[in-house]
Amino acid sequence: MNTFKVMLAIAFLSGTAVALAAERTIKQKGRIFSEAEVAIKKGDTLVFLNDDNIIHNVISTTPGTQFNLGSIPPGNSTPVTFTNTGNISVICAIHPSMKMLVKVTD
Amino acid sequence: MKKACSSPLKCTRRDEYPKMTNNSIGAISGIVAAAMVAAAATAIVMDRSNAEAIVGETRKVDIAPGPDPSIDSLRADYRRPKVIPFPKDNPYTPEKAALGKKLYFDTRLSAAYVLSCASCHNPGYGWGDGLPKGVGHQMKTLGRRSPTIINAAYGLIFMWDGRASSLEEQALGPIQADVEMALPLDQLLVRLKNIPEYAPLFEAAFPKQGIVADTIAKAIATYERTVVSGSAPFDTWIEGSDKAISEEAKRGFVLFNKKAQCSACHSGWNFTNDSFHDIGLPSEDMGRGKFLVGITKAQQAFKTPGLREITRRAPYMHDGSLLALEAVIEHYDRGGVARESRSDQIKSLGLTAQEKSDLVAFMKTLTSDVDPTTVPILPR
Repeated sequence: MNTFKVMLAIAFLSGTAVALAAERTIKQKGRIFSEAEVAIKKGDTLVFLNDDNIIHNVISTTPGTQFNLGSIPPGNSTPVTFTNTGNISVICAIHPSMKMLVKVTD
Repeated sequence: MKKACSSPLKCTRRDEYPKMTNNSIGAISGIVAAAMVAAAATAIVMDRSNAEAIVGETRKVDIAPGPDPSIDSLRADYRRPKVIPFPKDNPYTPEKAALGKKLYFDTRLSAAYVLSCASCHNPGYGWGDGLPKGVGHQMKTLGRRSPTIINAAYGLIFMWDGRASSLEEQALGPIQADVEMALPLDQLLVRLKNIPEYAPLFEAAFPKQGIVADTIAKAIATYERTVVSGSAPFDTWIEGSDKAISEEAKRGFVLFNKKAQCSACHSGWNFTNDSFHDIGLPSEDMGRGKFLVGITKAQQAFKTPGLREITRRAPYMHDGSLLALEAVIEHYDRGGVARESRSDQIKSLGLTAQEKSDLVAFMKTLTSDVDPTTVPILPR
């Protein structure tokens, strides 16, 4: 019950931020990200859409915001919500032509 | 679709916790419910010190498949570029290239005075060394085949495992590596400064910058960028001369781009997109995986080599294990060793004997009739 109250409090406190959280789609056609650099707010989401004709493996090795989407075939999308501020390098582990910078601010 | 996180690259998944949130949201309004979903995820992130980004569920999306490209449109993808690209922070000058060529061929850049860059990247062997594995300091055999430097100017990343992000960075690596040329940087600088005829060459190429690591790297990289494959029969065909290559080779070109799917990685005029793949060779070498620990598809993956001047570059593959182009085609036709890291694109192709022959005929059209490279007179 205490956990529920804490969660409820967090929910109300974060309500405004949640309502404003933005979502942008990053495409991958032609083995390049559709944007080389994006500026987003903490809590925003980037949806990585593989609209290419080949498998991609989007990752970030930037300390504090590491993630690995694994092998994603064409015709699939995966959302990533950025919870830490900073300049985050996102790449494809397979294709070095795919690299982008995500600037996350408060 | 759920996927396992690959340690040490950590992730959290919003879809791992649906019940916790669903039990709560039934009693409150829609907007609070939405907030709670996010808050629950936030709380979980806060509870897990290793949580770094919230990775949601992968979903299917309808994307319109592109039209099957015609042979004519494919041909356009292989047209030779008209210029060599040089980076803004190291633009081409003839003085730099001339100095770089002397450094490239100078055996005094190795501890034992016997190895130069050209020892392993020899123009006589298609800018490789013709050996299954490179040979370094004190004649010790290295772990991988010496890659060609042909068309390095167009590369995105360097070395078989991609550990160098620029040619400048790459140039100084083998000189200092214990197993290769084994000459520490401070000793390299002393040696070059003690060769009187080098000083004016550095001054001409890099006024007032002297003999330092940066100028050595930039000079060598500039020279390497001038090593570009010559116009081959394939290029003549691409430009419209129908008789420049055989009918067998033309069929091979179609197979290369369609049934055999070679062009998924060996794409563009240099026949590589510099991508990394485990192609199923029976080797324990982790390749790119050494630098991308925990990324399954990076394990035992190596950079896709270009195919220009390919008939002069045997043996083949990163480990030099295949002696002839026919053996390379056989490997891809079989699909190699099945393992988790193997590229999803590597699978049995079901090629006929004629199709294999056609593919080899096509690859043979990628070798040009180049003039021999002259060896420079070295400074004393």
